[in-house]
Amino acid sequence: MNLFSLAVRNIRLNGKKYVMYLFSMGFSVFTVYTFLALMRNEIVMNAFQYDTRYQSLLSSFAVIILVFVLFFLISSNNSFIRARKKELSTYALFGMPNRRIGGLLFLETAMVGLGMLITGIGLGIFFSKLMAMILLEMTLVNFAGQISFSIDPAALYQTAGIFGIIFCLMGLSGWRVVARFELVDLFKADKVSEKKTKGSFAVLILSILLIAAGYFLAISRDPYVVVLGSIPILILVISGTYLFFWGGLPKVLGMVKRNKRLYYKGANLISVSAVSHRMRSVASVMATIAVLSAVAVTAVATGFTLYANAERNTYSNIGFDLAFKSGGGNIEEQVAAVFLENGVTVLDAAELPLYEIDAPKTPYTADGMPLLTPGNPVRVYSESEYNQLVSFAKTTMETASVAQGEGHFVFPYSPDRIEHALLGKELDMNGFEIRVTEVIRSNVPGFGMLNTLVLDDEDFTMLLQERKITPSLVDGEAVHAAVFNYEGALKNRQLNQNLDGVLTTRGLHYKTAFGLYNESMETFGLICFIGFFMSGVFIMMTASLLYFKQIMAAEEERNQYQTLRRIGLEGRTERQVIRRRLLPVFFIPLAMGILHSVFAMKTADTVVFAHMIPSANSYLHVLGFSAVMYGVYGLFYAIFYIITKAQYGRIIRS
Amino acid sequence: MQILKVENISKVYGSRKSSNHYTALKNISFEVNQGDFIGVMGSSGSGKTTLLNILGSLDKPTGGRFIMNGNDVGAMNRNQLAKHRMENIGFIFQDYNLLETMTLKENIILPLALRGKDIAAIEAKVSALADNLGIQHVIDKYPYEVSGGEQQRAAACRALVNDPKVILADEPTGNLDSKSGKDLLKLLTHINTQYGATILMVTHDVFAASYCRKILFIRDGEIYNELYGGSDRKQFFDSIINVMSMLGGGEG
Repeated sequence: MNLFSLAVRNIRLNGKKYVMYLFSMGFSVFTVYTFLALMRNEIVMNAFQYDTRYQSLLSSFAVIILVFVLFFLISSNNSFIRARKKELSTYALFGMPNRRIGGLLFLETAMVGLGMLITGIGLGIFFSKLMAMILLEMTLVNFAGQISFSIDPAALYQTAGIFGIIFCLMGLSGWRVVARFELVDLFKADKVSEKKTKGSFAVLILSILLIAAGYFLAISRDPYVVVLGSIPILILVISGTYLFFWGGLPKVLGMVKRNKRLYYKGANLISVSAVSHRMRSVASVMATIAVLSAVAVTAVATGFTLYANAERNTYSNIGFDLAFKSGGGNIEEQVAAVFLENGVTVLDAAELPLYEIDAPKTPYTADGMPLLTPGNPVRVYSESEYNQLVSFAKTTMETASVAQGEGHFVFPYSPDRIEHALLGKELDMNGFEIRVTEVIRSNVPGFGMLNTLVLDDEDFTMLLQERKITPSLVDGEAVHAAVFNYEGALKNRQLNQNLDGVLTTRGLHYKTAFGLYNESMETFGLICFIGFFMSGVFIMMTASLLYFKQIMAAEEERNQYQTLRRIGLEGRTERQVIRRRLLPVFFIPLAMGILHSVFAMKTADTVVFAHMIPSANSYLHVLGFSAVMYGVYGLFYAIFYIITKAQYGRIIRS
Repeated sequence: MQILKVENISKVYGSRKSSNHYTALKNISFEVNQGDFIGVMGSSGSGKTTLLNILGSLDKPTGGRFIMNGNDVGAMNRNQLAKHRMENIGFIFQDYNLLETMTLKENIILPLALRGKDIAAIEAKVSALADNLGIQHVIDKYPYEVSGGEQQRAAACRALVNDPKVILADEPTGNLDSKSGKDLLKLLTHINTQYGATILMVTHDVFAASYCRKILFIRDGEIYNELYGGSDRKQFFDSIINVMSMLGGGEG
């Protein structure tokens, strides 16, 4: 029997233990190939007009996945080798030198790796068309081109090369593990019990405090705290999580053990002692799963919410399909000509003169942030003109009803602190006292100015007559706000290009819903696409390692169940023991990950959504979307759990 | 009081019709009464472990029947058997078979916990037993932290904790050094006399067998001889040696 046939035999015999691992390895090859191939796909390249970062996004996430895969494969491979100590020691006993055993393992790794490489790339090629279509379908509003089935030789070589290096590193690292084996240890391996961790109360408290501190920062309503605190939040929560699984959870199990009433109940006694016995060997995997689940769920849920809300965000930001500040000339006629040329029906069109008023002499600040400063004029509307503008907006905006001597203040972001600073205050506008009775958050009416004030019609007319309110001027000409809503605004690329042509040349301040919408779809669609793949790789790799550890444990625990059956453990209790033995290992990390992501999404909400969607319930919105994510994630975990439980049961009954 | 009645038990491995079947036990019959300390001796392959497995209801006989405590064990289904083992039988094995994941105390508690006994009763019982068997000082340690003798005493404790009708011991001294082995035999005698426990011990160690009060010798699956011990253990030892040499190639 030569080394080669021995390697083939071993792979066949160990197949069942490795099947999940092989699956996840194949999936990571598939993902990397797909990313690399998409990066070079010319159709995709041309289709991404707005987001030129798509290549760098794909490549940097491919790198992140590769780094993760590298560490993960090496560490799982080493634990596989340790699990095979007994088998390997038999070779050593028959006189096979360590060098050859290392060679055997290297050969096995190389063969398995080659197999998975071919499978992964094969699947990548097979699904290349589908993947490109999914990507374009997700990201492009109106993609009409044809995608063909393609094989990208460069991506193929790169993937093969990268994974070849990874497999070599795995082989070498395995070799090193074998070289350190002592024959005596090999036979003792079974008898020497795993080191135990009792955990400590201090570590438990510390881990909870660290996580709680992270959460506390994360739920701060102040975006500045959250942005500045994002790195500390990550460090606090991640270190807290690892500490919890290393030292805290063992302590919790210890406390369960001390509750005799609970602990001395048949199944509990067996399962709790078994879990706490294995804690040390699975703590790191459990913590990693908790962290990675949180990252994956948060990223995908946030990306997906942004993606799904792209239209809403677009209009809440721009308000109309097209808005620009016209400074005289025949620009309106040119725009009308473009619509006519493209045969597009204009649904609404409005043109309002724009006015401004000097800011108060004494600057107003909100928590130290300058708000109204002299020299920066304030956009000002009369109630009726403001309401006219608002009535055309494709986003929910309340019409204003302002009493004499009062004003509504409109600001693009952070209404809380602004409200706090301004509400009920008297503003001295050019000698006229205005009491702020409402603060509104909107990006729409500013037209180039940060602050906007809505006044009572009579006040407005009076101030205009007194020349305290003046028309806004560009190059000595009065400017107008022009807004349009028209058919097919989000999809008509040709029209949009023509509008760009007209409006850009004049150097006007203009915004189209088409541009922002398509840009968001590209960016967030891509993030979702990448996020799904990355979560897939994360979940498969970690779950397969967890599966493997439980299977190895099952082999070691087999004789324990034999003993248990001898002293009268019956089938029903045995199934109960297995359930309680495996459930915590799978679901504590998942629960922790979900808890983390609930807070992480609050952070994402504060930083991202609070600026974008001026609606009160954006966080609940994200949570709603992520509930679906959790469902899918939980389902995957349940499948892994069921497979593991079945295999575990089969092993301990054999 | 009769605890166990074995009637014509036989065990055949493989189909009786096929040529390569193997008969491990042939028509074995005997009775065990309350308070007996019986040794089962025989060379390797004589069928003594098969017998013990059948008595422990870990294995089923292919012929004959045995009655324990008035119930026909052969007629029980899997779950009834599990319950039967839990309530009526205590096992002591050569390699102790303690669960590595539990402390000695938890190991001893296990049968009681599986039966759903009350905590206070469990604690009191375990504490008294552990005191009596001299493992109180190591009771919160894990199996791998204590000596083989202590592990075997804990195993004896576990076998006894349930007040079983019979304790089945399979080469209990096999893995112990001579001092620990002797201690364990004294312990079994102690259990036998003080608790009135019925013990059936399989061994091929003559010294260990000399602690029993009655010995069944098995050869090629049949009962070859019976021997009753008197008050003098030395004399009993010699007569066992004699039978063993008659058995032919009796190993030590």
